[in-house]
Amino acid sequence: MKKITYFPGCSAHGTSKEFDETVKMVMKSLDVQLEEIPDWNCCGATSAHTLSEPLSYALPLRNLVLAEKLDNTTMAIPCASCYQRMKVTKAHLDKNPDLSKDIGTTIVDEGTYQGKVAVKSMLQYCYEDIGLDAIKARVTKSLAGMKLACYYGCLLTRPKAITQFDSPEYPMSMDHIVEALGAKATEFDYKTECCGASFSISDTEVVISLTGKILEMARESGAHALVVACPLCQSNLDMRQPQIEKQTGKKYNLPVFYFTQLMALAFGMPEKELMFRKNIVPVEGALAQIGKIEPEPEKVKKPKKAVEAESEAE
Amino acid sequence: MITLGLQEKNTLLTDVNKRSGANVLECYQCGKCVSTCPVSNFMDFPPREIMQMVKLGLKEQVYLANSTWFCLTCSACSGRCPREIEIPAVMEAIRHLALEENYTNKSAKVKAIRKFHYIFLDMIRRYGRSYELRLMVEHNIRTRDLFKDVMLAPTALLKGKIPLLVKPVKSAKAIRRMFKMAEKLEQKHK
Repeated sequence: MKKITYFPGCSAHGTSKEFDETVKMVMKSLDVQLEEIPDWNCCGATSAHTLSEPLSYALPLRNLVLAEKLDNTTMAIPCASCYQRMKVTKAHLDKNPDLSKDIGTTIVDEGTYQGKVAVKSMLQYCYEDIGLDAIKARVTKSLAGMKLACYYGCLLTRPKAITQFDSPEYPMSMDHIVEALGAKATEFDYKTECCGASFSISDTEVVISLTGKILEMARESGAHALVVACPLCQSNLDMRQPQIEKQTGKKYNLPVFYFTQLMALAFGMPEKELMFRKNIVPVEGALAQIGKIEPEPEKVKKPKKAVEAESEAE
Repeated sequence: MITLGLQEKNTLLTDVNKRSGANVLECYQCGKCVSTCPVSNFMDFPPREIMQMVKLGLKEQVYLANSTWFCLTCSACSGRCPREIEIPAVMEAIRHLALEENYTNKSAKVKAIRKFHYIFLDMIRRYGRSYELRLMVEHNIRTRDLFKDVMLAPTALLKGKIPLLVKPVKSAKAIRRMFKMAEKLEQKHK
């Protein structure tokens, strides 16, 4: 059995409880033990780096130091924002050891930072460390029939120099994972467009505009649902969807799943435990697609006249 | 280039470059950042214009622009910048410098955004963790928009999307000390 350090992040106790729960279920069934950092604190999210540079490094630093005490070589983080703040801090401290000393000795009782734990997003851990074969081997209920638009948002793969994971423009790791579960990943051009993040509260208009475009593109891609790996993306796409539908007059009806919810589903875990009831947009329609496999579209022969008309037009 | 002649006197340019670690002079104004930026249409000046204004040393206009407050740090622009300039770092440097030198954009939108971040940090100072319900309620009160998202509340609360309570961090002292240290380091900049 493998053991890794786990940083759940604040939203795991609130808006994204279902992400936290299903991560734990999936990891257990993949034989990975999660060791939570004792008494971890908020990473500071967007607000810390918006207002105060030193604070934006100090808050994640305490978690990094606490993580090093656990003796695991890898730390996995489900929330994209926590993940990115930790990675940014780590990169910054590795580049400026003086600052690490400055912040480290003045504020952290817990010890000094050594930089020996690898920080990964939960998506990255599933893709790189567990691997598609191990995921495929665990599937007992294929999701075949479901078409999914995989949405990564901005922070999981950008900036490339910091995250060093997948493509910053058109990542495919989550697409490969849902395909390993049997589902079909659609071609979705807005997979790394920003959802508007914390503007959800401070300037909702921004989120409605950005998230609206993402929903529109997901629908155009032919998806039955969206799949995400970030609590704030989930909440913007799901909770704000009825509002967006009202404003634009369009019906999207796209439930938004965490990728671990779908992994747990394909691993044959009981639907009741996957907390689909927390989704605002009803999930039943999308889940009903499982097993409905479309026949390959037959090539329709054009009538002779139409072909002639076309060539004339050319 | 005119900007080169101004370089010596342009303290804005040197401050921004130093703080951000980027070199704004490398920008050749192609505008790829603007077409990439998901929020450029909300900004007084889109990123390309901010870059040029920094080169020209238009300090007050740059510090008072709402652009840096709307930047989402999504890094879409820097990923596509042909000069590989870390534009979000430039935006962040400008925001921090403006805060330190007490330049305040007074538009209602920027006020709301700034308040959100202050409330968020205040919450972390108090609990060590984010407390979503309090964040939403306090933001509504402090922006005098009491009924914003009230329609969402019943579903969100019933579905357990937003918990009523937060579990605070035990080492409150460590958290307080971090805030103090940050304040001290910020004072040093001033």
